[in-house]
Amino acid sequence: MTESNPSLPRRDFLKLGSASLGALALGQFVPPAAAQAARAAGVLDADGDGYIPTMCEMCVWRCGVLARVEKGRVVKLEGNPAHPHSGGRLCARGQSGLMTTYDPDRVLTPLIRVGPRGGGQFRQASWQEALDLVAEKMLAIKEQYGPQAMIFSSTHNLSQVQFENLLNAYGSPNYGTQRSLCFNAMVTAFSLTYGVEEPARVYDNVKFVMLIGRNLMEAISTSETAALMEAVARGAKLVVLDPRFTKTAAKAHEWIPIRPGTDSAFLLAMIHVIVAEELGDCEFVKRYVVGCDGLLDAMASYTPEWAEGITGVAADTIRRLAREFAAAKEQALIHPGWRTSNFINSFQTERAIAALNAIVGNVLHPGGCLVAENPEASGVPLGKPPQPPYPRISAMRLDGVPWKYPLVPLKLGVFQEMRDAILRGKPYPARGWFISRQNPVLTIPERRKTLEAMGKLDFIVVVDVILNDTAWYADVVLPEASYLERYDPLMGIQGKVFVRQPVIEPQGQARSALWIYKQLGERLGLGDYFQYEDEEDYLSQQLAPLGLDLETLRRVGHLEVHAEREEAEELRFNTPSGKIEVYSETLERAGFSPWPTWDPPPEPAPGEFYLLTGKVGQHTQTATQNNRFLHQVEDPPRLWLHPEPAEARGLQTGDLARVTSPIGEVVVPVLVTQAIRPDCVFLTPGYGHLSKGLRVAYGHGVSDSDLHVTYTDPVSGGQALSQTFVTVEKA
Amino acid sequence: MSGPIHIPLHERKRLREKKLTKHHVANILTHWFNVAGWALLLPTGLAILTSPRLAPDWWVIGMRNLFGGLASLIEFHYSVGLIWMAVLTFNILVGFRKYFVPFSRERMLLSRDDIEWLKLKPLQMMGLAKGRPLPPQDAYNAGQKLYMYLVIVGSLFIGLSGMVMTFHQAFPVWMKQWAMVVHFVSVGLVVAGLIIHVYMGAVFPEEREAFFSMFSGKVSAW
Amino acid sequence: MSPMAEKKRYAFVIDVARCIDCRACLVACRAENQVPIPHTRIWVKDLGVQGEFPRLERTFVPYNCMHCDEPPCVDACPTGATYKDPETGLVLIDQEACIGCGLCVEACPYDARYIDPQRGVADKCTACAHRLERGEQPACVATCLGGSRLFGDLNDPESEVSIALREAESVQRLVGDQVDPEPNIYYINADVLQAGLLPRPPRSPAAAEIWRKVAVPAVLTGIGLSFAAQAGAFAKQLIEGEEEFEE
Repeated sequence: MTESNPSLPRRDFLKLGSASLGALALGQFVPPAAAQAARAAGVLDADGDGYIPTMCEMCVWRCGVLARVEKGRVVKLEGNPAHPHSGGRLCARGQSGLMTTYDPDRVLTPLIRVGPRGGGQFRQASWQEALDLVAEKMLAIKEQYGPQAMIFSSTHNLSQVQFENLLNAYGSPNYGTQRSLCFNAMVTAFSLTYGVEEPARVYDNVKFVMLIGRNLMEAISTSETAALMEAVARGAKLVVLDPRFTKTAAKAHEWIPIRPGTDSAFLLAMIHVIVAEELGDCEFVKRYVVGCDGLLDAMASYTPEWAEGITGVAADTIRRLAREFAAAKEQALIHPGWRTSNFINSFQTERAIAALNAIVGNVLHPGGCLVAENPEASGVPLGKPPQPPYPRISAMRLDGVPWKYPLVPLKLGVFQEMRDAILRGKPYPARGWFISRQNPVLTIPERRKTLEAMGKLDFIVVVDVILNDTAWYADVVLPEASYLERYDPLMGIQGKVFVRQPVIEPQGQARSALWIYKQLGERLGLGDYFQYEDEEDYLSQQLAPLGLDLETLRRVGHLEVHAEREEAEELRFNTPSGKIEVYSETLERAGFSPWPTWDPPPEPAPGEFYLLTGKVGQHTQTATQNNRFLHQVEDPPRLWLHPEPAEARGLQTGDLARVTSPIGEVVVPVLVTQAIRPDCVFLTPGYGHLSKGLRVAYGHGVSDSDLHVTYTDPVSGGQALSQTFVTVEKA
Repeated sequence: MSGPIHIPLHERKRLREKKLTKHHVANILTHWFNVAGWALLLPTGLAILTSPRLAPDWWVIGMRNLFGGLASLIEFHYSVGLIWMAVLTFNILVGFRKYFVPFSRERMLLSRDDIEWLKLKPLQMMGLAKGRPLPPQDAYNAGQKLYMYLVIVGSLFIGLSGMVMTFHQAFPVWMKQWAMVVHFVSVGLVVAGLIIHVYMGAVFPEEREAFFSMFSGKVSAW
Repeated sequence: MSPMAEKKRYAFVIDVARCIDCRACLVACRAENQVPIPHTRIWVKDLGVQGEFPRLERTFVPYNCMHCDEPPCVDACPTGATYKDPETGLVLIDQEACIGCGLCVEACPYDARYIDPQRGVADKCTACAHRLERGEQPACVATCLGGSRLFGDLNDPESEVSIALREAESVQRLVGDQVDPEPNIYYINADVLQAGLLPRPPRSPAAAEIWRKVAVPAVLTGIGLSFAAQAGAFAKQLIEGEEEFEE
């Protein structure tokens, strides 16, 4: 790799068409423009072999990747040791990324529906035709019904910033992310308590870790999973509260099979013990925590004995763990959680976690294991293209934020509420839906309702890489290039900026989201909001304030940014009081309890089970079931059932069981296992695809979206996915 | 049944002078081509096989070094093998009507005399049963006929099993396992016969004339 | 002492407690070595949920070719196409020489080998020898999230495998009472000698048995007899002299 780098010829992705059209088939080698440029940059050698740094997109953790390229094909993916989320490793999904890019079921041309929705009849169209059609429909909706009649949804994506740009420029308030199916409880609780959405976890010195769920060994976040394993191997004590004996529980020193929905009781009792026995460093803590004084009274009734009756966990255990936790002080960590959409009271669980971490001083000490700093906050001030101000949006949101859900952050929204609003047609009917990198048909509870809601819309356009279920029901499908084939906006993390760049030419006609949004924006008359010529221009504009150049970034994969960090004299938090608000006036004013409080969950009737959901280490939600590499290493999708109820129903492993909920039923093979509470069942998540365009995933397994009832927490807007109770019988 | 016929000495001498054509040119060439093939195939084959090991270490290692490794040695072996099979097949097919058919008819079939001969000759070679007269034999005696069968059948099996091993992508595993056994056994039997054949043809005094006939194609009328 | 001159003794060490059954290694191996579906060169064996609710345990045991010191597969190979490389200690296959007869597949006590359906040759874990040449770790080791898989040269006392073995509380290898090919995967800090993981005795298919036990003796006997007969006749010929063709 030479230092004297001639400046790269500007590659015009907009004109790639002819070059990539021929290079479709696997193994067909056409010397591609990307490779030539990469060779010029010194990244590929004369044979076209080498490593190109980029970023994974197989889940939201986005590990840095070194993609090995040989003769125009990506042949292997390695973790980038320089990326904090990877540390040189990739999980099973990261390693399988090749097969997502080379999936024979990729959508490689724009598709326009010709039969009924869901019939799978599409015709191939040119980008010109497809984009013109989409723009035409979107403009018609805007004119006739106003921009709010168009719903936009996308999930946590590197190109999110331009997606939001599109919807804001278009003028619609209706922004749906999948967060309310996942994060809302945690984000809302920690925003209110710490002023930070998601505090960073530091495992370097941790001695005591308590996980409420947070199945890190299966809901893998590469570097965090590795760090936890390292901590455990080093001797840190791991305690896992989970109704299911997950692989994380298998690594724990103590597994507490707590009754679902009662985590907050357990935690509130812990707070009770710590304040009653004065185990927290209250004098110190008081300076930074609002509510330290009144906490004892607020927690008075939450004794371990009281909690035992509710949780099924022995009072002595609760007491002991509270003491162990407090004794570890700033080297104790109760994990804030990840997917916290279990019960309506999950919000209170999160509040209790936030409180607990605060009162032992964990989050307050440098070197503590929880840092009240958003890990996504990069400290990297990226630039952006100039644009005019957005139009004023006067319409209310369909998802009830903030008029129905006053405390839910706007950028999270309440996705399921939006779906229900479409069905109701109130407060106004929606007419169109623009979806990018999201699969609401499979992820929102009550699939039938989601499909019905889609039936009420005039126009649905989906941006996707494969023909997943939501694309299957769309009117127009716009093929996004896979992550190995595209640029996305830069990502800053821990003082570094990383690039996602094409490793190979996009196959077929697939294009990056940056290109798609700009093309669409221009046709919508919003070109001023997309003032970049192509992806490289956009990235260059992002880099401009940092004084860094794109060529070097592309060659190395990342660049360090020396951001000025002000050392504050006093520790201040981004809350109204500037302190950690265990007692929250904001909550009180909104009519909710200002303290973390016990909110009893519903319970199943005799003969009913809690229907649990979760993650598996070999798939990412509903996105990867078609990946042939992952298909080889997955466990077959099944319903977990404890031996006692299994025997009572005459069910053995492999038998088919009918699982019935208030809104639907599925038939699924059973796994009889001790690894779950007798009053719970667990359905392997992510399966049950309806799209026949997914030849591996279609017809494989069943989806819990056919079972889940929609329950929404009024405070955080989060789903309560474990509040659905089911009956199980032999099918 | 024909018994021994007494031929007077002067007659015998005259007959000895007269040359008959025993072997056609085609026959001769085929025979020596076969010898050449075996001369290349057998030593290389012995260097390929290490379990069971039938050749000394210095031979195996030396041959592998000579050819630049096991893979190259095998490549050489099957290349020669394929050529060997191709040429022999070609010879038989091309000369089928002109040579092979009459040849088979006249010289390959075993007659009753041949069976008698087969019983008697080994005894006589051991010095026994000298008194008994040997039944007359045609151009090839019964022993040679038997050996001919062995060579033809053996070569066929060697070739076919060799093809299975050479084009191994196309054949199932069990067939390749048996191919190795068949190849080994066929080669072994032919070699066993070959030892006798070489001795009888080249070393045994009575047949010395026959040896030269393999070059000139001619034997005396005797 | 130049590392180039020193012979290596490559081995795997598995810190069993660290394996979380994420299966990243399985996918990495398939991608790195283009292993055809449905075959695999590498496994994570699940010992299952053990114990009584709620006192449960579950252990995962990574597993691949053991690169044994006394490999039955090498003994079984008729031509030495598979061999133990003296420079590295790895058991490798010369796939240009291999014909895919499958005797090695039957012989392996760990069932670590398979016949590649497209190329018709035997295949198995090579410890990513091609990566070792580049100074990289095997693909499975490089990506292991839990830090369970370790790999290195046991001849180097400072390699991570040597250190791990030294510091381990317990070390086991998967060997049975009758079956010990001296494998080179060392399992530390766990008891992995469970029924499902123990190696089976090497198997020899019918063709190989017949070859070894019937064909070889028969052929050698045949050749021996033939040679003896010929030698006898030759001796007789020398002793008795040429029979005069009478006059």
